[in-house]
Amino acid sequence: MSMFQQSWILGRRALREALRTPDSLIPTLFIPVFFLVVNTGQAGKVFPDDTPFLKGQNYAAFQLPVSMLLAASFGSAALYLVEEIEGGYFDKLRAAPISRSAIVLGRLYAEFFKSIAISTAMILIGFAFGVRIESGILGYLLLIAMISLWAVVFSGFMQLIALKSRSAAATNAGGLIFFPLLFLTPNFVPRDNLTRPMEIAATFNPVTYLMEAIRSLVIEGFEWDTIGKGFAVVAGGMALMLFLSVRLINNYD
Amino acid sequence: MSIGTSAHDRSAYAIEAKQLVKHYTGKGGNVEAVRGVDLAVEAGAVFGFLGPNGAGKSTTVRMLTTLMSITSGSATVAGVDVAADPYGARKKIGVALQEAGLDPRQTGRELLQLQGRLFGLSASRATDRAQELLELVELEDAADRMIKGYSGGMKRRLDLASALVHSPEVLFLDEPTTGLDPASRITVWEEVRRINQQGTTVFLTTQYLEEADQLCDRLAIIDFGTIIKEGTPAELKAELRERKHLTDDPTLDDVFLDATGRTRERLAGDVQEVA
Repeated sequence: MSMFQQSWILGRRALREALRTPDSLIPTLFIPVFFLVVNTGQAGKVFPDDTPFLKGQNYAAFQLPVSMLLAASFGSAALYLVEEIEGGYFDKLRAAPISRSAIVLGRLYAEFFKSIAISTAMILIGFAFGVRIESGILGYLLLIAMISLWAVVFSGFMQLIALKSRSAAATNAGGLIFFPLLFLTPNFVPRDNLTRPMEIAATFNPVTYLMEAIRSLVIEGFEWDTIGKGFAVVAGGMALMLFLSVRLINNYD
Repeated sequence: MSIGTSAHDRSAYAIEAKQLVKHYTGKGGNVEAVRGVDLAVEAGAVFGFLGPNGAGKSTTVRMLTTLMSITSGSATVAGVDVAADPYGARKKIGVALQEAGLDPRQTGRELLQLQGRLFGLSASRATDRAQELLELVELEDAADRMIKGYSGGMKRRLDLASALVHSPEVLFLDEPTTGLDPASRITVWEEVRRINQQGTTVFLTTQYLEEADQLCDRLAIIDFGTIIKEGTPAELKAELRERKHLTDDPTLDDVFLDATGRTRERLAGDVQEVA
């Protein structure tokens, strides 16, 4: 059995668990929707529909990518992993004749599918706010793929914290890293409207390129240069996360 | 100190360790958890590995089961070098560690099916094997309930069943009855006997000396990372009776206290307590 088959067997277990605990998805949806409502409510009049960067849409279209990225950062893989480390099931899996990388990848498969469901729900909520996906069905598919792969990358980095710290408290605290990354971005206005120091910070923040790629699919259509940068960030993050995960799990003592 | 009969052919040993050492860096500095353990456990035996808390029992088990790297020395389990071929070793061993390692959000049946799949059984064979094991450990009625609702004894029996899913040649049980009530403990003992009668070598760590007396063909006592006594329970008791000129037959408790007490005196000020 290949590592991918082993991962898929473990991933199905994680998906089954997610379906059994739908209440755990409530904060994953509630908090991003809360931000969407609050941010749109606060700045919607400042940026009316005829604002040039909104291209005829309302401000919720500009904020939806921010909320979707926030939702993608609420994966539960790392918390379940640290629970299994503390409870001993992780060792049971490590004692099985499977690739140890499959143990890490299994939960990430599940995060991918969970993120597809959550991102789709966020888009449907966005429709209720009058948001249109300018790039149509293909754009929707690209958008969902990008967000869901990013959710995998982010969950993978959180799993690294869990594997390294073996502590639920440290893993929880690790999630706070995302907040500076999410807000050192053009999350309220386009990058060229930011102050110079903020623009520099946003330029060096990889999440900026993800946000701009998602936003371009929602507001602009197919800006392939922007979309390509978004996927490049996902690919780079994925490569780094997988490299570190495989190294860490194989040397886990 | 070598455990076992030197006259035996090497292949007769289900577990063999030579000068097994584990050092690691803990919060208090460098810790020598295991300091040159030699083992030779005959195939088909129930071997007891006793010692006080922090003596190095679990660390030894974790090295033998590929869960922890070996600092120096070597070990083979079921004829496979655990450091050189950990994947091959894992196919031949079953492991039930101190904490009943279970996923609370699965049912007992799902956990066993999953374990079967991870050990390479087909989906249908894993389903059949799960049913067999649920019957073996008398958990059929609870098979489709979430594990988080199981009692401590039920969890322990399920953990034992999950270690048997691939019919291992060697079964490692790390304190399998700790925290169980007397009835559950006896049930686990019966399971261990039954498993052993089917030909599986059992390596059992325990703090309960009665358990070792009941189950083990041979045993070793480890303290401060070093084996300090070995033999059959009867041999160890006879040696103590003779050495101390006792009129009554000593118990395994007496053997244990004698061995570990003497060691503490000898090594006083020269050792580190390990977790």
